[in-house]
Amino acid sequence: MLPDISGIIIIAGNYGSGKSETAVNLAAVSRKSGKSVKITDLDLVNPYFRSREAKKPLEDLGVEVVLPGRKYMHADLPILTPAVADMIKNPADVTILDAGGDAAGVTVLAALEDVLEKSHVKLLQVINPLRPNTCDVQGCLKIKAQIEATAKLPVTGLISNANLLDETTPQIIYDGYNLVTRVSEATGLNIEFITASTRLLPQLATERIFCPILPIDRFLALPWTRN
Amino acid sequence: MAKVLMKGNEAIGEAAIRAGCLNYFAYPITPQSEVAEYLSKRLPEVGGVFLQGESEVAVGYMLFGASGAGERVMTTSSSPGISLMSEAISYIAGAECPAVFVNIMRGGPGLGGILPSQGDYFQATKGGGHGDYHLLVLAPDGVQEAVEMTMQAFGLAEKYRNPVMVMGDGMIGQMMEPVEFPDDLKTEPTNKDDWASNGMSTRKSKKKNLVKSLFLDPAELNQHNLNLKAKYEQMKKEDVQYELYNADGDYQILIASYGTMSRVCRTAIDMLKAEGIEAAMFRPKTLFPFPEKQVHDAALKETCKCVISIEMSMGQMVEDVQRCVMGKKPVEFYGECGGEIPSPEKIMEIVKELIG
Repeated sequence: MLPDISGIIIIAGNYGSGKSETAVNLAAVSRKSGKSVKITDLDLVNPYFRSREAKKPLEDLGVEVVLPGRKYMHADLPILTPAVADMIKNPADVTILDAGGDAAGVTVLAALEDVLEKSHVKLLQVINPLRPNTCDVQGCLKIKAQIEATAKLPVTGLISNANLLDETTPQIIYDGYNLVTRVSEATGLNIEFITASTRLLPQLATERIFCPILPIDRFLALPWTRN
Repeated sequence: MAKVLMKGNEAIGEAAIRAGCLNYFAYPITPQSEVAEYLSKRLPEVGGVFLQGESEVAVGYMLFGASGAGERVMTTSSSPGISLMSEAISYIAGAECPAVFVNIMRGGPGLGGILPSQGDYFQATKGGGHGDYHLLVLAPDGVQEAVEMTMQAFGLAEKYRNPVMVMGDGMIGQMMEPVEFPDDLKTEPTNKDDWASNGMSTRKSKKKNLVKSLFLDPAELNQHNLNLKAKYEQMKKEDVQYELYNADGDYQILIASYGTMSRVCRTAIDMLKAEGIEAAMFRPKTLFPFPEKQVHDAALKETCKCVISIEMSMGQMVEDVQRCVMGKKPVEFYGECGGEIPSPEKIMEIVKELIG
């Protein structure tokens, strides 16, 4: 079952949890299902591997990608283009805001407070248990609290993005699902979906997973990887 | 310990802690700032010290002070920051103190850009600061090797009482890979009582140690430099590290590359092989001491028509390759340095053109 989410969706999570890859793939899957999709890269923290690097393949699919001007694409400057506020006021069926990592990464959301409070937004926390700070429930809750305090918005749902890149196994995905299930029990938050690389999907016992699965094709792969 | 997914910069920070380094001084600069961010959180948890200097110049001398006092110490920076530290590096080498410098290179010269580069090869291997000194320079090709080399760096720095540089680039610092931290790479700190200003009461000695790089007597300064030279010669004998890839067969071309660039060349070599073209790679893991004999011997393979040095620079390591091959085979060069990394397809095209 593919994720079927509409509205304004903010993808947040701890640093390196895989927010951008998740956001970009969610945009692609939503667009392929016939929805209109807009995505913006709000990562003002990370200098590389940002969702903006997937601009061309997303545009080829018909996704509207909202970014600062081309000459600022490789600047480590906190540029928030006014087009982002406009995008929130005039959303598509699916409007995705890919935030930066940790609390620092969602600071930018406070700058959008005026437009965001008028909209019904979903703030989803991406969790990869193979990252050092989110290997247990306590770590995930700590990150959640930091994100909420800085973004001035409540987290509304969870995403498991359990992976060790090319070394991911089905067991890693099951373990990640178990962890977000426990975070879900601790918080009452819904698990919106989990992710699995398209390579691993055929090996997954999907009857063990009671939520949608977002297939991940790597848009932000290392420049020397080839199939 | 099971593998975790880490960004190169975080992994370098964790590796330093695992290697027993509890002193880290730094100044933020893209693309290495995550090391400082990571260690500012982690070091207090393990009883260590993180201190942000007022500039890279100050940080360089903080390392001098800590290493002179016999402590394991590290800093990380990126190209322009390393330039600012270069005076202190020369003093540390002159005073024979062990310290670890990590350079996550970005484009240059000057402020350049924030994307990856290999433009600091000359600076790292041929000088940077003044005087007759060398750094021992380790060049990882990914996050796992960055961990291993950072851990090794502390032991090597103490073995030679010399600064060691781990030279990655923005890609190594920013990319994420699965990593583990091998406990066996941790070395026990050496006894520094013979030379360090580590406190007379702790070492219960009457010998006064003075850490200095000033030698006003000409004979004494000459002898000091001869001693340093002997250390560099010992490095060449004992601590050269390199890798040869796809070099067992009858290769037609030898590609010399290191760090991030070698990852692209490795993919290109695999893709060429699938097309029936044999290319080998020589990858120095120590840029100083340079694996001189190894590149010479690999180039002299009968079937090898030529050597090409491929770098994310305008041609720096190629000078060492030419020096070592001694004109016995043609040595070509290809490089890009704007920050975009040459693609495997581009490398294939260049190789095909060269071997006809």
